[in-house]
Amino acid sequence: MLVLSRRSNESIVIGGEIVVTVLEIRGDQVRLGIEAPRSVTVHRQEVHAEIQRENVSAAVTGAVDVTRLPKAPPPS
Amino acid sequence: MIIQSDQLGSVDIDESKILSFDDGLLGFPDISRFAVVDAGDDGTYFWLQAVDDPQLAFLVAVPWAFFPDYAPVLSDADQHALSLTDADDATLFCLLTITDDGVTANLLGPLVVNTATRQGRQVVLGDSDYSTRTTLAAA
Repeated sequence: MLVLSRRSNESIVIGGEIVVTVLEIRGDQVRLGIEAPRSVTVHRQEVHAEIQRENVSAAVTGAVDVTRLPKAPPPS
Repeated sequence: MIIQSDQLGSVDIDESKILSFDDGLLGFPDISRFAVVDAGDDGTYFWLQAVDDPQLAFLVAVPWAFFPDYAPVLSDADQHALSLTDADDATLFCLLTITDDGVTANLLGPLVVNTATRQGRQVVLGDSDYSTRTTLAAA
């Protein structure tokens, strides 16, 4: 892993197009500003990991009786 | 083409209707081709069968039958990745997880399909309060 030291209001550039700026450092929390092309998605890692875990849980491994799934409520 | 699916048995897939998830699903980055197959006959549930892995299938639902207030907002990046310019071209499914306690829907990471191009993508609604495990409300 590349390790860089940055102060408040200093930035790093990734791939020439993505700029990550340290906006504020307060205690153990760092606020980052991220400028990226619109084709690049940026997410908190833990959100990504949570969805990944749920996908693995969602992969159907046993037999499923689809007739026993909850019925959708009638449209109101 | 015929797939010998572990879950569905022998299913005949119309190759012109296969969905392409170029980035796969999170945790399944190499699985890119899926077929949507009816699960049950009331249009609530569908199987998402991996075309190239007969052992991999997901149960999905269009969420609004259960969650009429669900209002996901797609980021520019996701719209761009799906070449989506018109909301009418988008279809959305949520992956379901079956547990001992019931069935839950992943509203945080829905699957969005551009029906015009048959491209699909799992989007991450990172700024929302949606959960990966929302219980389906039974009637």
